[in-house]
Amino acid sequence: MTLFWALIAWLPALPALPIIYFMRKNECKPKKNIIVGITLPWEGQRDEAVLAFLEQYKKELKLVCWLMLAAIVPSLLIRSAGVFLTYWLLWIIALCFVFFIPYVRCNKSLRQIKDERGWRLDAEETSQVVTDLKAAAEEMRWLSPWWFLPPFLLSLLPLCFDRTFWPFWAIEAAMVPVFYLCYRYLYRRRADVVDEDSSRTKALTRIRRYNWGKCWLIVAWATGFFNAGMWLTLDHIWWCMAVILAYGLVVCITVVSIEFRVRRLQEKLTADSGRLVDEDDRWLWGILYYNPNDTRMIVNDRIGMNTTVNLARRPVQVFMGLMLALLLACPLAGVWLIGMENTPVELEITDTEITGTHYGGHWSVPLEDVAEVEVITELPRLSRVAGTGMDSALTGQFNAGGWGRVTLCIDPRTGPWLKVTAADGKIYLFGGGMESAAEESAEKLQ
Amino acid sequence: MLLRLDFSSGVPIYQQIRNQVVVSIASGELEPGEKLPTIRALAEEAGINMMTASKAYQLLKAEGYITTGRRDGATVRIPSAGAGPEAVEGLRLRLCELRLAGMGKEAILELCGKLIDEEAPGK
Repeated sequence: MTLFWALIAWLPALPALPIIYFMRKNECKPKKNIIVGITLPWEGQRDEAVLAFLEQYKKELKLVCWLMLAAIVPSLLIRSAGVFLTYWLLWIIALCFVFFIPYVRCNKSLRQIKDERGWRLDAEETSQVVTDLKAAAEEMRWLSPWWFLPPFLLSLLPLCFDRTFWPFWAIEAAMVPVFYLCYRYLYRRRADVVDEDSSRTKALTRIRRYNWGKCWLIVAWATGFFNAGMWLTLDHIWWCMAVILAYGLVVCITVVSIEFRVRRLQEKLTADSGRLVDEDDRWLWGILYYNPNDTRMIVNDRIGMNTTVNLARRPVQVFMGLMLALLLACPLAGVWLIGMENTPVELEITDTEITGTHYGGHWSVPLEDVAEVEVITELPRLSRVAGTGMDSALTGQFNAGGWGRVTLCIDPRTGPWLKVTAADGKIYLFGGGMESAAEESAEKLQ
Repeated sequence: MLLRLDFSSGVPIYQQIRNQVVVSIASGELEPGEKLPTIRALAEEAGINMMTASKAYQLLKAEGYITTGRRDGATVRIPSAGAGPEAVEGLRLRLCELRLAGMGKEAILELCGKLIDEEAPGK
């Protein structure tokens, strides 16, 4: 694992750090009277004690951000791909949760001060579900599916012309309809009620709805161009990388900028609003929605344009439990890779065949099909087609300079290696590593 | 108009919806001809079952407070036939409860006047 590949691995993960930091920091600004998950009255939003808690919260967020950034440095010294992957995945998992520590601390402090200062609405009011009938009566306009058709057709192009990687193109082409379904069915119809002003509620609801559609539509079009771009640049690795990078940037910038735009508008529109709705008791630590009286499984987030789930529903609990288990199990992929790295490549000759084995996989040639055997001490230039490419093992199908397609089961670090040419012209490479048995095997075969 | 549903209350949710719509029509907050959300929209907005929303609308329709169309959803109207026998019986029951609670005729009339002014100011 070189420094270059380590930096490449960090490239897609790193932008998540400032994005999460700024999104969490943004919660200090009141939107719909909510600050860090707590609904406060106008005077509460300007209270000195509240402002002090928010300052402390910002400091803690900054500290977490720097600690996470510093945690990247040791990984650059790791040479084992398996250890690096485990470390990288653990960092990602930490990133998912670590910013919630200062958030929950601040949320608890604000909740306490809200109770102490008597800023709570009456118990009767907080237990009520408030719906603005006039805003709810407004007709909901959905984007026509025709808007999603051109990017879908663009995505189908590679599938029509390139049969080699058809499963990849099929999955990519399916993304656009999936985005349309997400747009159409993940959005929850719920007006953003803050007070009795129906026109304000309608404006807030329209802003959320419009930006939700815009976000999915831009991402769908970007995916259409991405698929076509990948197909056109597949044989030019650097252009291909540039397409992937451009797609990542477009999606990231679109989603983040729209989310912040919605938040800014919510902040502006509710700066002078009243406070009739207080749902704090239904949001655990200001993050998780838990309302047994709500029949919906998916609900709107309190601020921004996103949606979240109602943890009081049994199917949601099961689904989220599985997702959490899956997330926590991710580092096992790194452990599996460590095992793969430390398993030597083996070469065995029996009475009937030559077999190369590595970590459960085996590649063999029947002896009767062997046309020529040769011991080589230098490997040709190899590029992977399908299989495993690690510092300690190359297995599967590769393109070899001058030889064409070859099947490998070798340790590329030290030779010699056994080159076997079959009667049908297929070439196989076996052996390698500290205890390479290539020479001995060649003698035995001859 | 804000609809406030209290899930801890003993009053069924459909009845709460019906009562609040009636009060809003009386106070002029909801005007005749004004559109109400469709059953589906109301259910989604309030996070209640579609059957509950449907039941509330059926009740309002039967009492003449709304009309429903296949496409337009529900529209507010004022019943033309005046208070029905059920409303008169309901009022009678409430008056009996107030008298049993120790209120005299004058106090009840004063309370009624106050409530009418609160619910429909200027009418």
